[in-house]
Amino acid sequence: MPNIDSPPTASRRHLLRAGLALAGAALTPAQVWAQVAQATPPRIFPRTQQMLDRVCDLTIPDTQTPGAVKAGVPAFVVMALDHGLSGTGRPPSHDQFPGGRPPPEANWLVWLEFELDRRVGGVFSSAKPAAQAKALADLDAAAYAKGGEKSPWRTLKGLIVTGYYTSEIGGSQELFFELVPGRFDPDVPVGPNDRAWSNDWTAVDFG
Amino acid sequence: MNTDFDAIVVGSGITGGWAAKELTEKGLKVLMVERGRHIEHGTDYVTEMKAPWEMPFRGEGDPQLFEKDFAVQSKNRHFTEYTQNHFVNDRENPYSVADGTQFNWWRSYQLGGRSLTWGRQSYRMSDHDFGANKKDGHGVDWPIRYADLKPWYDHVEKFIGVSGQNEGLSSLPDGIYQPPMALNVLEKHAKGVIEAQWPDRRLTIGRTANLTQDKEGRSACQNRMLCPRGCSYGAYFSTQSSTLPAAQATGNLTLITDTVVETVDYDAKAKRARGVSVLNVKTGERRRYTARIIFMNAGAFNSNHVLLRSRSEAFPNGLGNSSGRLGTHIMDHASTVGAIALFDTFQDRTTYGNRPTGVIIPRFRNLGDQPEADFVRGYSFQGGALRSTWTRGKREAGIGEAFKDNLRHVGPWRMVLVSFAESLPRETNRLRLDPVKVDPFGAPLLQIDFTHGENERKALTDAGKEASAMLTAAGGKVILSLNQPGIGGSAIHEMGGAMMGYDPRTSVTNRWNQLHDVPNVFVTDGAAMASSACQNPSLTYMAMTARACDTAVTMLKQGRI
Repeated sequence: MPNIDSPPTASRRHLLRAGLALAGAALTPAQVWAQVAQATPPRIFPRTQQMLDRVCDLTIPDTQTPGAVKAGVPAFVVMALDHGLSGTGRPPSHDQFPGGRPPPEANWLVWLEFELDRRVGGVFSSAKPAAQAKALADLDAAAYAKGGEKSPWRTLKGLIVTGYYTSEIGGSQELFFELVPGRFDPDVPVGPNDRAWSNDWTAVDFG
Repeated sequence: MNTDFDAIVVGSGITGGWAAKELTEKGLKVLMVERGRHIEHGTDYVTEMKAPWEMPFRGEGDPQLFEKDFAVQSKNRHFTEYTQNHFVNDRENPYSVADGTQFNWWRSYQLGGRSLTWGRQSYRMSDHDFGANKKDGHGVDWPIRYADLKPWYDHVEKFIGVSGQNEGLSSLPDGIYQPPMALNVLEKHAKGVIEAQWPDRRLTIGRTANLTQDKEGRSACQNRMLCPRGCSYGAYFSTQSSTLPAAQATGNLTLITDTVVETVDYDAKAKRARGVSVLNVKTGERRRYTARIIFMNAGAFNSNHVLLRSRSEAFPNGLGNSSGRLGTHIMDHASTVGAIALFDTFQDRTTYGNRPTGVIIPRFRNLGDQPEADFVRGYSFQGGALRSTWTRGKREAGIGEAFKDNLRHVGPWRMVLVSFAESLPRETNRLRLDPVKVDPFGAPLLQIDFTHGENERKALTDAGKEASAMLTAAGGKVILSLNQPGIGGSAIHEMGGAMMGYDPRTSVTNRWNQLHDVPNVFVTDGAAMASSACQNPSLTYMAMTARACDTAVTMLKQGRI
C-alpha cells in the first residue's frame, strides 16, 4: 500500500507551492513538470488525498443517501490503484499529459492532480468549490466526448463508480441489494421511485 | 489401506461423479481418485454468502495475484474474486502450446472438478450431429446414433434435474424436464418477432441443470445466480450436490483427493490395464492401485494426458494409441458476440431475481439434405435480455447529483446473442507431450496445438449477420457484432483426442467408450467426442458415461473384460 500519511518534505512542499502558485500565471505545464519531477515520490500526499476526496465527493455526492466519501471510496481507489485494478497496473500514457513530459513515476493520481490543477489554474484542493466542480465537469465532458476515449479519467471514474456501488452504502442503501431473491419475476412494472438492483448479476456483467 | 478395487475412476468432475455413482450402485467397489483438494458440499463454499463489500477487492479480485498465479484462468468471465478458489493455479499447473498458437485452458482441480463451475446448460445431441462426420467427411463416423444415447439422456436428466422447454426440434431433441424458467418481457417479444419472420428458428429458454422444483434433498433454485461459488442449496447439478452423495450412500466408494494419476499401468501378458500409478501431490508419496476396469474421467485433455504419459513397450506412444491418433482431432466451440442491441421499448417493465440461464436459438443452418451456406454444419446462439444497472456509469458522461440519480434507476434494455459455431475435427489440432518442458513433479507437460479454421470463421460471420438481423427485427439498435472466434478454449468446451470410431486404425475408442486396444479402459469424458456439435456438451458426456458403466458391468459379469 502507498503510504498516504507521509508528509512531503519541506523542500518538496516549498517546491510545490512555488511551482503551482506560478502555474496558473506563467509556467507552462512542461515547466511545472520539470520542477515537480525533481521530488515526486510514488506516494499519496495529504494534498493528493484532499484532491481525491473532493473528486469522489463531486462525482457521487451525498444526497438522500451518503455519497462516495462516506462510503469509503477514496480508500478503495487508492487500494485499487496500488493493485492495478481495471488496467491501472501501468501508469497513464505520456500523451495524456497535455503539453508536458511527466516524470517517470507519474501515476494515475498524479495525472488527475495535474489535470485538475491545470484546469483551475492553481491548486485544485484550494480552489473555490464552484471552480472545482467546473474543472471536474469539464474534464468529464472532454473524456466522454469524441476523442476522449483514452482519457485516464474514464478509468478513474470507473473505479469510483465500482467503489461506491460495491460498498454497503452504495450497494444496499442507494441501490437495492438482495442476496437471496428466492424467485424470478420476468415482467414487473417499474415505478419512478424504484431503485435499481445492485446485484442483478447479469446486468452487472453485461449491462 | 486396501489397494485393490473392482473399478478405478480417474477424476471426480461431471463424468467422474457419474461413473462413481453408476458403478457403486451396480455393486462394484470403486476408488475415485481426484488430483485436487477436498471440497465439502456447503461448508467449503466459503464465498457463497458474501456481499461485495465483504470481499477485499469487492469481488473484482487482486490483479497482482491474478498475474502471478492465475494468468490464464483470470481471463475467464466466470473467474472472479468469489470463484478464484474454484480454479486452478496456473503457476503450479503449467501447460504449453505449440509455436504460434494460443489456447485458454480453463480448469478446476478439486473434488467436483468443473461440475462446481460449469455453465449448467444441458442439451442433447441429435442425429444431425452424430451423422455429421459421415455426411461431410470431416473426422471419422460416430459409431453411435441418437437412439443409442436417448435412454441414457433420459436417465441422466431424471437424476440431475434439468429445467427446460420441449420444442420438437430436429436439431435439439426434447428431454425430460422440470418446468422451464420464464422468458422475460423483452425476450418474449423478441421470440414472437423472430419466429414470425423466420419460421425455421426458435427462441427458447436455456435448458439448465438448475432445479425449478425441489428434488431428493436438493432445493429449487433461489435465483441468486452465485452458482460457481458453490450452492449449499444443491440447486444446480454438481458432483457434490448429486452424484457423490448417491455413490457414498452405497458404501462402495473410496475417495482420495490431492492425488494425481500419473499413469495407467498395462499388463502386456493379459492385454489389460492392471491399475494406476498415483502421486500424492501433498506428500510426494507414490503408490499403485489395481482394479478390473478403469474409467478415464479426468477431463477431456487430462484424460488424453494420462494416456499419452502411460507409455510401455507395448504402447510406446501412449496407452491405446496403436492408431497414432490419440490426442488428435481436438475441438472447442468457436464463439464470439453475435450481436448486442439496445432497445427503447418496455421502459416501464423490468425483472426481479437472478435467472441462472439465458435464452437460446438452436441451430437452424444446414439441416436439410442440401447445403445452404458457404460452410458445413451450424451454429447456435445463447444470450438474453436485461436492463442495465450501475456498471453503465463507467461508460456514461456525468458527475454529481444528476449522475447519481440516473444510476439509482434501472437503465435501458439490451439484448445479447453469443454465437457458438461447431468446431470441425481436424487431425492437425492435437495434443502431445511437450518434448522439453516438465511439471514440478517431472512429468512432461501437455502441449496443446489448436487453431480455429476457415469453416468456423465463415459460420461465425453468418451468425453475426443473422444475430444482427434478428435483434434489429425485434426493434433493437445493434451496437456491436463480432465474427472472429476467441482464442481456442474460450468456450470451455475443449474435447476430443480419444475419439470414438468403428475402426481401431483410425480412432481411439469404440462404440462403448472402450479403448480399442485395451478393453478394460473406458474413456467417457469429452475426450471420446468424435465431433463437437454446436451445443454445450456436458450432458452428452454424462449420458455416455452412464451407458458405458452399464456396458462395463455387463461385460464384467459375462467375463468379457
